[in-house]
Amino acid sequence: MTHLPYIAASYVLAIGVPLFFAIGTTLRLRAAKQRLALIDPRGKR
Amino acid sequence: MDTRQTVAPPRPVKLFHRFANPGQFLRLSGRVLPWLYGSGVLLTAIGVIWGLFFAPDDWQQGDTVKIMYVHVPFAWLASAGYVSLAICSVLSLIWRHPLADLAAAELGPVGAAFTAVCLATGSLWGKPTWGAWWVWDARLTSVFVLFLLYLGHIALVRAFDDPTRGYRAGAILALVGVINLPIIKFSVNWWNTLHQPASIGLTGAPTIAASLLWPLLFTTLGFTLLFAAITVARTRAGVMERRIRMLLMAKTSEASQS
Amino acid sequence: MKRKTKRLLILLACGAGLASAAGLTLSAFSDNLVFFVSPSDLGKNTPNGRQMRLGGMVEQGTVERTSGGHAGARFKVTDGKADVMVTYNGLLPDLFREGQGVVVLGVEQPDGVFKASEVLAKHDENYMPKEVVDALKKSGEWNPSSGSPPPNAVWNAPAKPAGS
Repeated sequence: MTHLPYIAASYVLAIGVPLFFAIGTTLRLRAAKQRLALIDPRGKR
Repeated sequence: MDTRQTVAPPRPVKLFHRFANPGQFLRLSGRVLPWLYGSGVLLTAIGVIWGLFFAPDDWQQGDTVKIMYVHVPFAWLASAGYVSLAICSVLSLIWRHPLADLAAAELGPVGAAFTAVCLATGSLWGKPTWGAWWVWDARLTSVFVLFLLYLGHIALVRAFDDPTRGYRAGAILALVGVINLPIIKFSVNWWNTLHQPASIGLTGAPTIAASLLWPLLFTTLGFTLLFAAITVARTRAGVMERRIRMLLMAKTSEASQS
Repeated sequence: MKRKTKRLLILLACGAGLASAAGLTLSAFSDNLVFFVSPSDLGKNTPNGRQMRLGGMVEQGTVERTSGGHAGARFKVTDGKADVMVTYNGLLPDLFREGQGVVVLGVEQPDGVFKASEVLAKHDENYMPKEVVDALKKSGEWNPSSGSPPPNAVWNAPAKPAGS
């Protein structure tokens, strides 16, 4: 007995969700850094 | 509740306050983050490849047992994430720790998503093994309640115009919800449930054969590191965004004065 | 008293109150939180025609699969003290076997036979590869259709070479 579709779906979810968050957070961090570099009087951070 | 006792002693307070400094946090987290991501990806990859291609099948379930390698880490992180949320809430309510507020607000969505994955993979495991996608037994229901608690926290933290009031309300909700954690843990022992009892505990050896257990240890540690990495990165972004808001506010008030 | 200490005390008091309230509620409702009843529980009441869930182990040597057109089975569910005859028309889950834990949804007939409309297989907390089970069967340490496996110390020892 094999249940490949169930296994594949589980692994796609388990890897996809953290990946989605990691990419989203990286983009958010980059945007915040650029913004801060423009307006922060203390300069680099 | 044990989560409170761990933060109660006065000695670590000074330590907390050193990290309360947002500049300090940004420096430290910037150094730690690549290592968290790197080790998390590495351990998860080892665990997943080992589990999918090298670990033997279970004698009853066949290859369906491979879902365990992703379901169990997410189930553990659903609860562990909530414990972190509760710790942040205590730090926020008692010590008015500014970083704890930001961290709690950033933890909520990650915890909710991981709980959703736990429920979904559990469902995908339940259909072929038990014969049902979902049953309302005590374990499944209490984890579903945990998911609702996360959603409530996400909504409450963002519901007020004054963010401080949102953080306060969210912290109280999070601490009330802590009562659900022992219910999740012990539901399978206290009541008749369709969900099986824990295979790995603090007392007694695990009831999983060693050849099936190893990949699980890797994926559990790997996903935990990834969860930590995502949370730290989000909190970093939160600190920076708050600084941007404050700078912009200062600028507009300067402009209106001159 | 410092304000921080005061806030801590208030929080602890609220927590203690909440915990005891929840504990009392749970113990009061614990009967309603039960997902299934056992065969001995079922024997205590007379059949009332209400739908319920019955949980237990499929008794060894009692499974008769219906031959012919549609899938189905008759088997006894036991908890070691009492057993109940169950009839079921439909596809059994993959994990269904003698000695396996099951939860069946259905109605107890006046003659004491439990007519099931759904059969769920209950998995236990033990996971092991086929080779380990075969080794245990061979050495006579465990017969899967007779109940739970022996303590894991017995079967994790032969499993180690397979894991490395």
